[in-house]
Amino acid sequence: MDNKCNFKSGSLPSCAPLAMAYVPMQECVKPTYNTAEALSRGTLFPGLDLPFMNMVNTGDLTGTPLGELMALDFVAHELVLYLDTHSEDSEAFDMLKNILELANTARERYIKLYGPVTTMELAKAQSFTWLKNPWPWDYTAKLEG
Amino acid sequence: MFVYEKKLQYPVRIKNPNPALAKFIISQYGGPDGELGASLRYLSQRYSMPYPELKGLLTDIGTEELGHLEMVGAIVHQLTRKMTPEEIKKAGFETYFVDHTAGVYPQFASGTPWTAATMQANGDVITDLHEDMAAEQKARTTYDNILRLSDDPDVNDVIKFLREREVVHYQRFGEGLRNALEKLDKKNFYAVNPAFD
Repeated sequence: MDNKCNFKSGSLPSCAPLAMAYVPMQECVKPTYNTAEALSRGTLFPGLDLPFMNMVNTGDLTGTPLGELMALDFVAHELVLYLDTHSEDSEAFDMLKNILELANTARERYIKLYGPVTTMELAKAQSFTWLKNPWPWDYTAKLEG
Repeated sequence: MFVYEKKLQYPVRIKNPNPALAKFIISQYGGPDGELGASLRYLSQRYSMPYPELKGLLTDIGTEELGHLEMVGAIVHQLTRKMTPEEIKKAGFETYFVDHTAGVYPQFASGTPWTAATMQANGDVITDLHEDMAAEQKARTTYDNILRLSDDPDVNDVIKFLREREVVHYQRFGEGLRNALEKLDKKNFYAVNPAFD
């Protein structure tokens, strides 16, 4: 894509009608953080990463099957929001398809080890494992799974 | 239709209970610029939106906000676990405790219950998107203020994530407005309300 702006800025109309708010359009889906960075920074996009008083998270949460699944699901969600406002961006759509495939694999791995994420996955369970602790809001010393 | 996913969007693991922090973090659960209002605002505004990209954006961000509501609830729940009456009094948490024990109730930090008076579904495309952009900024400010007040690294880790989401959502709503303007009369954006006329 031919970008006139760098990744921290976006395009505005040259002569815009008065009495309206204009947010610059993000011009390109790239550059992106990797999945682990995206989850810890709270965004896939370095251009949108605007922390308060330079307080940033740097930890890698993807060392467990749950952390890995969270990171992939998060990146897929970020790409969906980007595509909601850039529906013709085929590069972003290809990235989404690729991430969704990885997320499906990570989800299957997590479910096999720790039980269902949704009740639909009980189809393959030996018993009614839906009620198994911990629930997402319970305190656990480690990132379970 | 909604399907529950038995996991958080981002992990919440608060090692040290601290009801004094829960007293003001509850505002992002049910306060004037909190996650309950955010989710209901977007999920309610969807119905009158005339364009598929805005129906999609409000659905997808509104759904994410439900996930944030769950995360803030998890923070409050973990901060208020295993409290003794002495700790409750020392933290000044007794005004909450007497009504809710360690339950998670949607209220402002000041104690006012969550109210739909803090949000709008105006039914006008331009107006609703401006409201959404303002809402993201208000929530961002609240998270900034929480970061100023909280010194718990486990809490702040989650708050930094939630705060950054407000910045991203602001950008997407702004882009949604830009896309909507493309469909309107550039000589007069206010000539009609495409959600009604």
